[in-house]
Amino acid sequence: MPENYFSFTQQIFNPAEAGHKPEAFKGIRVLDLSRIIFGPVISRWLALFGAEVIKVEEPDEGDSWRLGTYWAKYRKDANPYFQALNPNKYFVGIDLKKEKGKELILELAKKSDIVVENFRAGLTEAWHIGYTAASRINPKIIYISCSGYGQWGPLRFFPSWDLIAQSMSGVARSTGFPGKEAYKLQDYYGDFLPGLFGVISVLAALNYRAKHGKGQYIDMAQAEAIMRIMPNWTYMSVTGKDLECTGNVDPTMAPSNIFKTTDGHFVAIAIATDEQFSGLAKAMGEPELSRDSKFRDTLERLKPENAAEINRIVERWVRSKTEDEALELAEKCAFPVGKVMDDLRVVKDEWRRERGSIVDINDEMYGEEAAGLSAAMLEKNPARIKWLAKPLGYHNNYVLKKLLGLSGKEIEKLRKEEVIGTWDNRVGQKPPPYYDVSKDPMFNYDEGEINDGK
Amino acid sequence: MTASEKKPQVYSRHLLGNKAGEQLARFNELLTGMMGSTENKPEALSGITVIEATRANFAGITAATLLGEYGAEVIKIEPPEGDPARKITPYGVNVDGVGLPFLMESRNKSYITLNLNTEGGQENFRKLADKASVMIDALRPGELDSSGIGYRHLKRSNPELVYVAISPYGHYTSQAEKLSHIPDTDLTAQAESGYPSISGDPREPEPYNYPLKAGIWAAWYMSAALAVAGTLTALFYRQMTGEGQMVDIATNDALTAWQGFQVVWGFTSEKPRDRIAGFDWCLYPYGFFKCKDGYVTVAAPLDPDFRSLLKLFKRWDLENDWRYLFDRTVDDVDKAEELRTELEKTFSKFTRDELTRKALDFSAKAARDPLRSKGFPIIVPTKEPNEVMREKHWNIRNDFLEVDDPEGGKFIIPAAIPKMSETPPRIKSTKCGIGQDNEKIYGKYGLTE
Repeated sequence: MPENYFSFTQQIFNPAEAGHKPEAFKGIRVLDLSRIIFGPVISRWLALFGAEVIKVEEPDEGDSWRLGTYWAKYRKDANPYFQALNPNKYFVGIDLKKEKGKELILELAKKSDIVVENFRAGLTEAWHIGYTAASRINPKIIYISCSGYGQWGPLRFFPSWDLIAQSMSGVARSTGFPGKEAYKLQDYYGDFLPGLFGVISVLAALNYRAKHGKGQYIDMAQAEAIMRIMPNWTYMSVTGKDLECTGNVDPTMAPSNIFKTTDGHFVAIAIATDEQFSGLAKAMGEPELSRDSKFRDTLERLKPENAAEINRIVERWVRSKTEDEALELAEKCAFPVGKVMDDLRVVKDEWRRERGSIVDINDEMYGEEAAGLSAAMLEKNPARIKWLAKPLGYHNNYVLKKLLGLSGKEIEKLRKEEVIGTWDNRVGQKPPPYYDVSKDPMFNYDEGEINDGK
Repeated sequence: MTASEKKPQVYSRHLLGNKAGEQLARFNELLTGMMGSTENKPEALSGITVIEATRANFAGITAATLLGEYGAEVIKIEPPEGDPARKITPYGVNVDGVGLPFLMESRNKSYITLNLNTEGGQENFRKLADKASVMIDALRPGELDSSGIGYRHLKRSNPELVYVAISPYGHYTSQAEKLSHIPDTDLTAQAESGYPSISGDPREPEPYNYPLKAGIWAAWYMSAALAVAGTLTALFYRQMTGEGQMVDIATNDALTAWQGFQVVWGFTSEKPRDRIAGFDWCLYPYGFFKCKDGYVTVAAPLDPDFRSLLKLFKRWDLENDWRYLFDRTVDDVDKAEELRTELEKTFSKFTRDELTRKALDFSAKAARDPLRSKGFPIIVPTKEPNEVMREKHWNIRNDFLEVDDPEGGKFIIPAAIPKMSETPPRIKSTKCGIGQDNEKIYGKYGLTE
């Protein structure tokens, strides 16, 4: 096979063709009752890969993350954070507290494959739209309840946010320099990682259902997902001690740290194996380091005093190199180096554009924007963004008419009774100021197909 | 939860009457079924075979582990001297030569040795791949391909194969090719994802003011989870169409594209975010605060939450200050720090438990308020891991598994998550000796010695 491997892979992953490839979850319908981040990222994955996600919000109020923006800033009257979390979804406003609202939810659940919710433990059950009610009318339903601590146990009603789950799981004490203040994990890691574990469980259930025809209930606890990835328990059980903060040093690798380069950049270096260490020693022009009894063997090198010594040696060396030189040497001598990127470099990065993990989109309502995709690239079913998050209740007509077969009259009645509704005249909820919804065929949907999938 | 615990709980004003009680009884029955042993329940991925070809890479190792928790048969291939990942461990601490992260992710796998540098080894690899549903390749990009056992070779005889590649820059793009020899670690993946540049405190003296990494393997575990979600997406498509495919994970991108907020900042702002220590860009108060006997975590970012926090601690004096009432956005760290100092003055008079209790009691009352306008300030103790391990809640939920094996030693590992009614993920074995399953697997798949 003479063709270069990377030419072959470039061709099968070509992002230019991504939009024409089939979607993995075409025909899968998700009823999404969740808000903020933890639940919505689960349906985000499914929506990126082609599922039809119906996002239900309270009329006039909406998902409170519509307001969860940075520095209280909005763009075109929308919150870009909310948009990043909710692409390709259908937005309906239904009041879950009204009897007729609950009936609508159950009607939608009947026609759905997956339900996602992240209310407080047991709340959807109490509202009669929980798994026991949904599975009675749709036994094949996969129903995932996301909560801080799970549906049973003494902490089940305890409140949770990303940061609260970080605190209750103990991970909050792991980031920072020894003897200094600890820092939280940034950008809601405590939502995104548990959300991804939620995706995995739903997909495992979906694969099982495809074979055996059975649905199920999933109790997804935010704090448990964080605890699943912490090494502290094993370390404590073996040594009797807590793992303390270690700053930028990864105590499982030596040397490891974030170092300053001569051109004022930061690079991360972490050496996981003996082979990588000889590569580094060679790059440094000090091959004898890899024969030194303190550094030659991984377990010996990891001892705190040896690790500190080798870190000092590497620090001095990096001070004499530029960022580019460090990278070049890493490639040449095969040891791990990474540039410390920032928001701007990340979004302007050629590599990510070429890869297709960050894409430029042109949304019908919001115009041009850059967006991140799933970070898992699939050769045959690549993720894609078809539209950004829409105003609250934007798809009411479409979903209620097309899916539930309601007439215009019936919808008008529900609207008057305030069972369904759209946005309040507030930023985060309403359409952009320049956009005339009265001329929007999707917002005013009557019948037939609308090509909104661009 | 036992059958006796049927009395309706106060969730909110929407939960009323006997009807709710009945509903919850049915729900309790479901949960009781989920609390029991997982042993005789079916597994979601039974019948799926996963080959793990990874080297010193816990994104790859954990991806295979997670699939194994759901019932896939996982065969880990190691060179005769073992995967160097066995020595990646905090301060070199190990149990009989096996590092702690390796022990933690060792569950439910068969361990065989195979030398991929020999023709015989490659032939055996081909035989395994022919029978496999999933191949996890966390070696150097192009390494297997150059031995004639990469994706394009394997898919010819097994078109249903889902081939999952995990590497720093991925298996395609010009940069991936140019930097294909740089190995993967969590720290370098965090750095390239841009994570440290949004963490830490730039006001500290050097080196404490450096960009700060997450104290756990944030990038490796996120990559593992992304790989598994990608694999299951591909397996679902395979189920529908009979077609396999390649899935590519770049660990250097794991904390960027999926979380997406960096992209938003990079796109909407002319400059990158400055690091803002323990604060948050969207929410305030939202962080750790010193109190009498340690730290508490406070989340009261919405206006009603914040106002009720002031009320609860008799700090209405702060409310008169327009800065705090209207503008708690952390675009000015010094200003945010002022409010923190004020709040800590008050919190330092109370213990962690007192603060937690006060906020909980207030929220319980607020939940019954007909207007629900009172806000829900949340305060919890910022727990140390050793406290978490003793927490009754997690024991009831069986979240820690104590392994006590005369051959493999004694240690604790976190259980498989989440809880599922039909096909719960589980731990079936933790043994991980090098080549321990050679005989079984070589026989089963007709491999030659």
